[in-house]
Amino acid sequence: MANLIEIEHLSKRYGKLRALDDVSLRVGAGRIVGLIGRNGAGKTTLLKAILGLTPYQGSVRVFGLEASRDRSALMSEICFIADTGVLPRWLRVDHAIDYVEGVHPRFDRRRAEAVLTDTQIPRRARIGELSKGMITQLHLALILAIDARLLVLDEPTLGLDLIYRRQFFDTLLNDYLDNERTILLATHQLEEVEHLFTDVLIIDQGRVALDTAVEDLPQRFVQLSVAAGKSEAARALHPLYTREVLGRPVMVFENQPREALAGLGEISTPRIADLFVAKLSAREPGPAPLQVGAVA
Amino acid sequence: MKVLLMQMRRELWEHRSLWIAPLLVGLLLLAAVATVGRIQFYQGPAPGPAATSSVNTPFEQMVLGWGIPFYLVSLIVIVVYLLDCLYGERRDRSILFWRSMPVSDTQTVLAKLLVGLLIVPVGAFLLSAVTSLLASAILALRHHVLVNGQRAPLWDAAAWLHMQLRVLYSLIVLILWYAPYAAYLMLASVWARRSAYAWAFVPPVLVAMFENILLGTRYVGGVVQRGLNDVLRLAFNLNRQFAYNLGDQLPTRRAAPGNGGGASAFLENPQMWLGLLAAVLMLLLVIRLRRYRDDS
Repeated sequence: MANLIEIEHLSKRYGKLRALDDVSLRVGAGRIVGLIGRNGAGKTTLLKAILGLTPYQGSVRVFGLEASRDRSALMSEICFIADTGVLPRWLRVDHAIDYVEGVHPRFDRRRAEAVLTDTQIPRRARIGELSKGMITQLHLALILAIDARLLVLDEPTLGLDLIYRRQFFDTLLNDYLDNERTILLATHQLEEVEHLFTDVLIIDQGRVALDTAVEDLPQRFVQLSVAAGKSEAARALHPLYTREVLGRPVMVFENQPREALAGLGEISTPRIADLFVAKLSAREPGPAPLQVGAVA
Repeated sequence: MKVLLMQMRRELWEHRSLWIAPLLVGLLLLAAVATVGRIQFYQGPAPGPAATSSVNTPFEQMVLGWGIPFYLVSLIVIVVYLLDCLYGERRDRSILFWRSMPVSDTQTVLAKLLVGLLIVPVGAFLLSAVTSLLASAILALRHHVLVNGQRAPLWDAAAWLHMQLRVLYSLIVLILWYAPYAAYLMLASVWARRSAYAWAFVPPVLVAMFENILLGTRYVGGVVQRGLNDVLRLAFNLNRQFAYNLGDQLPTRRAAPGNGGGASAFLENPQMWLGLLAAVLMLLLVIRLRRYRDDS
């Protein structure tokens, strides 16, 4: 499979802060990558590097082009929605459509209008007069009308209510199924979108903590709801992370054969949110394991 | 080219004062001409063809006088525009949207420069030309009503055309002459984190002061003063023969004192070429800064 994105030894500093620290990764065509990390973990910086919006050390090749050097050429192939509405507030809705049509060779006005007809956005309103949900709808309509191969979304639904979030991801998914696109989606609202992901990329303190296909998760990670009296045995197998659910320890193991755990309790595949917490607490042995030790 | 035109339209959407202000001047002027003052025309000899002498006929003075408010107002809106054009987009983070479009930073900066240095001045020129035509017509009509069907004595088509050509020539000279100042304002705009105005006006004054104190020279001060002086002359001296001789006077007087001036003297003026060179260098810096600056 061809790689759309190839990142080698990407680092980025803001003064003394290492926003990204020697990141290397690849993203294949047609994947939907969930980019997960705490606030300030480096997600936005990574996305900006991929978009050529920020200078960096290392190499970021997107469609074979070096991102920081060829940004404007790259932008015919990439679409981007940032976390908070970055559409200029003074711009009128119809002018926004005119503008993108004027500068983007792959923009299809009819598609944008089609997406917008399902919304209540007045065409002659200024963007500043629209609600936050409407602005995001408009931005999505503009972007889905562009026949781009890569979609980069940086917490696009931040601050939207449940209905708008649903609509956003429904529209996105329908469009994705119609057009083979690659999507890079950074989000905190995992529960709502994790079923979309084909890949998971966890960033922590500027480094890649986990980079895997969702289909490989069951082989690699196991969640064990420990049966009574088996805590010691389970802990001996070095769980990545332990938490307590209804008085029972629940442990996440990495690269531990399922057979070895089968006798110790109920086995399942951890959800991505649990995996995220597991990966991050494995880095900093903090209060979580200690608590469990005290209980068991 | 299509992209550049759309970029320029977008500037006029955002900075509506660029065309509303001169338009308003025209309307106010016409309203004033139509209502204010007694009709009391020049009683001397009938105006002949445009004189080659530097003394303007009353008609010429009137046409010049009508032009002044256009150029003053345009000057103000252009300065405000150039200072805001690369700062505002970072302040409201809309730069993330603009830069997610396949438009290079060079195209963006060029479009902004063209709007400030060409579109608005030429627009103001055209507006003032049309206004002076309409105002003359209104005066003629008022005269006609008052003086019982007599032909208006003042209108002089040849003189009008001649004035417009002179003003247009002055405009071209001024555009070339002020290009480095425009580039400097854009540099302040792309550089500033807080106040673009402070960056535009404080450093030159400080540098000029220190230069004067430490080195005893007044080079920077001279450059600053030159810019201001010419603007002030433009503002307050127009009523005499200023605009009439503007094209000859401004730069050439210094280059070749005693020389009558003219287009060739202006084109041979090394200061003009140095200024253009400085403008190009500053614009390259502006493009680079917009490209690599990341504080959104």
